[in-house]
Amino acid sequence: LPSSFLCVTVSAVWVGLVCLLFYSRLVRVGAAPICTNGQAGCHILSLADLFDRVIQHSARMHGISSDLHSEFEQYFFPSKNHIGRVNRICHTSTILTPNGKENAQRLAREELTEVILKLLVAWRDPLWHFQQSIAHHHDFNNFSSNKALEMSDMVHELRKGVEKVAEKMQMLGIISNSVNSLTSPEALIPSDRAEWRLMKDYVLLYCFRRDSNKVQNYLKILKCRIIPQHEC
Amino acid sequence: MRRAVGVVYLNLHSFLFFHVLSLCLGYSPPGKPKLTSCRSPEKETFTCWWEPGSDGGLPTTYALYYRKENSDAVYECPDYHTAGENSCFFNKNDTSIWVNYNITVVATNALGSNFSDPVDVDVVYIVQPHTPENVTVTVMEDKDGPFLRVSWEPPRKADTRSGWITLIYELRVKLEGEEEWEEHRAGQQKMFNIFSLRSGGMYLVQVRCKPDHGFWSEWSSTTYIKVPDYFPRETSVWILIAVFSAFIFFILTWILNLKSNSVKHCLLPPVPGPKIKGFDKQLLKNGRSEEVFSALVVPGFPPTTSSDCEDLLVEYLEVYTPEEQELILEEGKDLQEGCLKSKGSPSDSDSGRGSCDSHTLLMEKCGEGEGKEEKHQERAQKGKRQQKHQTGWEEGDVSHTREDVLSPDMSEGRVKTWPSVFSPLPQYSSRPLDHQGSLETARQLCLSDSLFPPPSTSSHLSYNAKEGLALGSGQQEFYLGKKQTHPSNPQSQPRWHLQAHSDFNISSMDRKQAASGLQLPGFRSTEYVEVQRVNQEDMVILQPLFSSSCQRDGHLQIGQGEDYSKVKGVDSGNMLLLQREVEVKREEEDGDRYSCDIQDRVTESCYTTSTAASSQVTGKPTSCAGTAMPVQEEMVLAANGYVDAATMLL
Repeated sequence: LPSSFLCVTVSAVWVGLVCLLFYSRLVRVGAAPICTNGQAGCHILSLADLFDRVIQHSARMHGISSDLHSEFEQYFFPSKNHIGRVNRICHTSTILTPNGKENAQRLAREELTEVILKLLVAWRDPLWHFQQSIAHHHDFNNFSSNKALEMSDMVHELRKGVEKVAEKMQMLGIISNSVNSLTSPEALIPSDRAEWRLMKDYVLLYCFRRDSNKVQNYLKILKCRIIPQHEC
Repeated sequence: MRRAVGVVYLNLHSFLFFHVLSLCLGYSPPGKPKLTSCRSPEKETFTCWWEPGSDGGLPTTYALYYRKENSDAVYECPDYHTAGENSCFFNKNDTSIWVNYNITVVATNALGSNFSDPVDVDVVYIVQPHTPENVTVTVMEDKDGPFLRVSWEPPRKADTRSGWITLIYELRVKLEGEEEWEEHRAGQQKMFNIFSLRSGGMYLVQVRCKPDHGFWSEWSSTTYIKVPDYFPRETSVWILIAVFSAFIFFILTWILNLKSNSVKHCLLPPVPGPKIKGFDKQLLKNGRSEEVFSALVVPGFPPTTSSDCEDLLVEYLEVYTPEEQELILEEGKDLQEGCLKSKGSPSDSDSGRGSCDSHTLLMEKCGEGEGKEEKHQERAQKGKRQQKHQTGWEEGDVSHTREDVLSPDMSEGRVKTWPSVFSPLPQYSSRPLDHQGSLETARQLCLSDSLFPPPSTSSHLSYNAKEGLALGSGQQEFYLGKKQTHPSNPQSQPRWHLQAHSDFNISSMDRKQAASGLQLPGFRSTEYVEVQRVNQEDMVILQPLFSSSCQRDGHLQIGQGEDYSKVKGVDSGNMLLLQREVEVKREEEDGDRYSCDIQDRVTESCYTTSTAASSQVTGKPTSCAGTAMPVQEEMVLAANGYVDAATMLL
């Protein structure tokens, strides 16, 4: 009898010790879901959250484009001299974009938003075609074609996100309503469709890498101008 | 005309002369310069540095030319001095972001010039900020202990406020004297905490930064910080747990020590070993079976001829005084019932029953049988008191309860515990004795043995003849064996039989009986047994002897021939001495009929085995005769007539 009692005691003590040691791990932190339409039980996205989301999106988009560009550079243009002689003409060069900080800060919010949207719209079709051509080329591995596909999707998503941000800003009265009229794709795409078809894939990647960087930078400027207290 | 040609000829000549002279003197055009790097600290201006080649011994000038993207206009570097030697600084006005610059450096000396390889530059991708500024490290206290808080500021020129540049930071820490740095990414925050410090250690901290697409800055200048001495809190908790565990462990060990035996018994139960008498484990291990089995033959077992049948029987009998008898009778009931082994039918032929050994075994199992024996004897000696039981017998109704009262094993007329048991009154049908078979006779013989103990052992019987004689009102004869009650004998007196023991008593009683006369009612007849044969197992097969002359009146004829059914005695060598009977014809003029058996025989031997028959002979023939008739067929076994074949069997 005493031995059984001892067994019970010792086992209870050990169980207690183990529970004490792992007590801290049992505590969990829950996260509230994010809702889009103001549903009950979730916390509504603020403008700052929207901005953060689109900025992250654009950062990812730029990262993918940089990876693809460096891949192209490695396999197709090994010598640097060859690069220098290529005449890079981007089809989005017709879109006037600020080339410096002062120029960008000089632009109004609406204009800046407009530029962003213009750029995003201009790249939707070329990227889609680029992804198609990459998929059919057997020279590229699956990794590249997946990236190209993701890139073209992201342009589409980012455009929608920026449009949402513009809506929100207009709702909040930060910008005027003139932006909406410019978002229609027909008006934005210049009638130089033939030009981007002539672009080589490498030039296309080069141009897109730069333009994605522009978009990201403009968004950051816009954000810090509108919401300066948030990580600026 | 002639003058122009002469001037040209002179220039050309001087030029050639100069060059030849230069070459003869070892001068050469400049080597090719090389653009080493272009960097922008804040993405608003940038600087390019080049590396000059050999100058060729002559003073060489360098010029930087650049072209912007998609335009053929060539511009020269606006500022050669701000950034130092062999550099070109582009200020804000001249810098365009997201524009591709094609930059070339030209080295020129008197003999010639040399162009460097062109370099394409996009300012966005050449950003390398300055080191973070104002790196401060402080020691802060927490409930878990002290920790370091490192804070810094972005480089002055980088405009992170407007979002133009996004910087991410990194810091590294090491103890003084160590070689490896411990690096931490801090992201975009400008503050960082370092935990798990060594108390009293001196730490070195450095910070650097990088734009999201660009180059890492240089490490900031080292900041030194000393951590004060403290005692880590985690250790104390672990020490407490360790002490507690050790304490419990010691207690467990101590208790285990105390109860080591019971624990050992629980965990490792002892394996029962062989407990066979004479079994030697060592012999078994040796592997020779013959030795093992031979060792098992213990001299004392199995019992051989040397042992006495008596040994298997109860040796001691105690006789209680009469007043105790009734009490014990009552008590004996329960014991007897418990000890009843089998209750055969009244007419049980005792088939399958072993020799007297079975009885002994049965008796031994009933440990309280000895007590019963005593009671039985008491009852027997009671005499009159048991008449009620006897009536039961006479009626032929041998109920269990009745019998139980008398003797436990008398049920069904079986002799179960043999010496102590009263003679069971089996409800025999009138069938000849030989139906009983040899076993029965053997049993009877066995029973008789107790009545014929060797003279030396006669004293072992605790039964005192005198006492026995004192019982009852008169002399009582004790019969051994079965008495068959004849239901048709209304006159049969209740009688009982005492089996066993009373051999010598009887003999002694005989004399007294002769004096006082037997009051034993009823017919006692003894029966002689004739030796039938001796079988191969040294068993004496006896058969009851029926005298054909029983039917005749008065004149008994003994069977022809010799008969050895009379036991002369048992000598010291445990040999049964049979006596040859001498036919005696006796005539009784009183017309009494003697029973077929012993009464007609005259035995000179006054053995201890003298039976009731002899006493009868000398005694009261009248009584015998009274009941002679019906009893003649009875198979009454007198004590003296039987040979204890038990010894023979063994």
